[in-house]
Amino acid sequence: MQEKEIQVDSMNTSFARVMEIFTWIGLITMVIFGLLYLFDLNSYVSVASVISHWGNSESKFWQETKGIRISGYLFLKHLNTVDCLSMVGVCILALAPLFSVVAALFRSKKIYTILLLILTVEFIFAIIRPLIMGGGG
Amino acid sequence: MKKEFLVSALLFLFVVLLAQYVSSATQPSVSASSCWVWPLILFLFTFTIGIIAPMAGVGGGVLFVPIAAAVFPFSVDFVRGTGLIMALTSALSSAPQFIKKGLANMKVMSPIVIVSIITSVIGGIVGLWITSTFPSGKYYITMVLGIVLFLIFLVMMFSKRVEYPEVKTVDSLSQALALTGVWYEPSLGKAVEYKITNLPIGMFCFALVGFIAGMFGLGAGWANVPVLNLVMGAPIKVAVSTSMAIITVNDAAAAWIYLAKGAILPLIVVPSVMGISIGARIGARIAVKTKPVIIKYLVLAIMLFAALLDVFKALHGLGII
Repeated sequence: MQEKEIQVDSMNTSFARVMEIFTWIGLITMVIFGLLYLFDLNSYVSVASVISHWGNSESKFWQETKGIRISGYLFLKHLNTVDCLSMVGVCILALAPLFSVVAALFRSKKIYTILLLILTVEFIFAIIRPLIMGGGG
Repeated sequence: MKKEFLVSALLFLFVVLLAQYVSSATQPSVSASSCWVWPLILFLFTFTIGIIAPMAGVGGGVLFVPIAAAVFPFSVDFVRGTGLIMALTSALSSAPQFIKKGLANMKVMSPIVIVSIITSVIGGIVGLWITSTFPSGKYYITMVLGIVLFLIFLVMMFSKRVEYPEVKTVDSLSQALALTGVWYEPSLGKAVEYKITNLPIGMFCFALVGFIAGMFGLGAGWANVPVLNLVMGAPIKVAVSTSMAIITVNDAAAAWIYLAKGAILPLIVVPSVMGISIGARIGARIAVKTKPVIIKYLVLAIMLFAALLDVFKALHGLGII
């Protein structure tokens, strides 16, 4: 059997294709706005402030830089700033596997449809859990 | 071979010393130049890791997290968040290629990640809870990280890899899910068929690995590959590739915990991801031509050193030494 004769099923190829697309979108978004952030263009937390406080734990860091306690996806409320837009890129990367699983779900058969459905529900719960149960811990 | 070893070791040492120097020099006040210095040091540091990691057959996260926790001035929370995104990005970049070649298999991945996604999220929650609840939490985490790294060192030092494991009997769950696959192996010039076994044991192992990955922001390929290869009977290439696909899902789910707690900072993540991505491409090219054993021992030595440094830093922070 030659390489071209090996057939990868559509469940796998759909998963791979969608993952590739969202990885590129996420990476480009994260890097472009991340580089702009270095110039300190309209940032939510200034670069100097980050460097001054990044030795603190996350809770103390946010308390000292912005006087807040983070609970949920705060960066979504400040999409006019470059650091928060860079975080959107990270979000797209973290969503890529979910979109890929959903794409594969439509091409799956029998038991794998159920498994991927469970996986999708678990993934969505992981995303919305901080919103309904608060914070990370 | 000697030249590669020397250049890698010197570059690595230079970046670590530079980080230590700048760390002590920029603590009291932040100058405009230090805003650029840190991203540059991070870029160089992760670029070096990116080059040497593929030659030693490890992911970048397993080197980044313990070393950065030991020598960089960031809190271990941000180091773990960055490590997770680095491992996620690396896995997202390579997994689609492996899947298209038939090397990574969603049939194998699906039942495993259903369990490990839950434990990786729990790991992320527990890790951040410890640092935010206990005043000395970050030192406890750093100490356990050092111990985990020592265990990884032992696994890497002593575990063997089987190119094509022979699967004689298949458990009923693996049989019901038809966990089989095929890929074309150019070195043999033929298609290789394989079957997977011991799925229940494998799922249990991945539950533990998922927890550690989520808690410490590690990619966990160091554990995924031996479990898939030695316990579940996957050929080594399939084990490495499927491990990448598993990491995409596990780390992405755990990343949401870190995102929701604000433990991911673009200033640390962006230069690190860029450095490791560019370095890994160069490292992978070198690794195809040559895989010097001396580099593997260099990485193992770095891991052991970082483990000791983490434990020392934690004990010092707790006032024990």
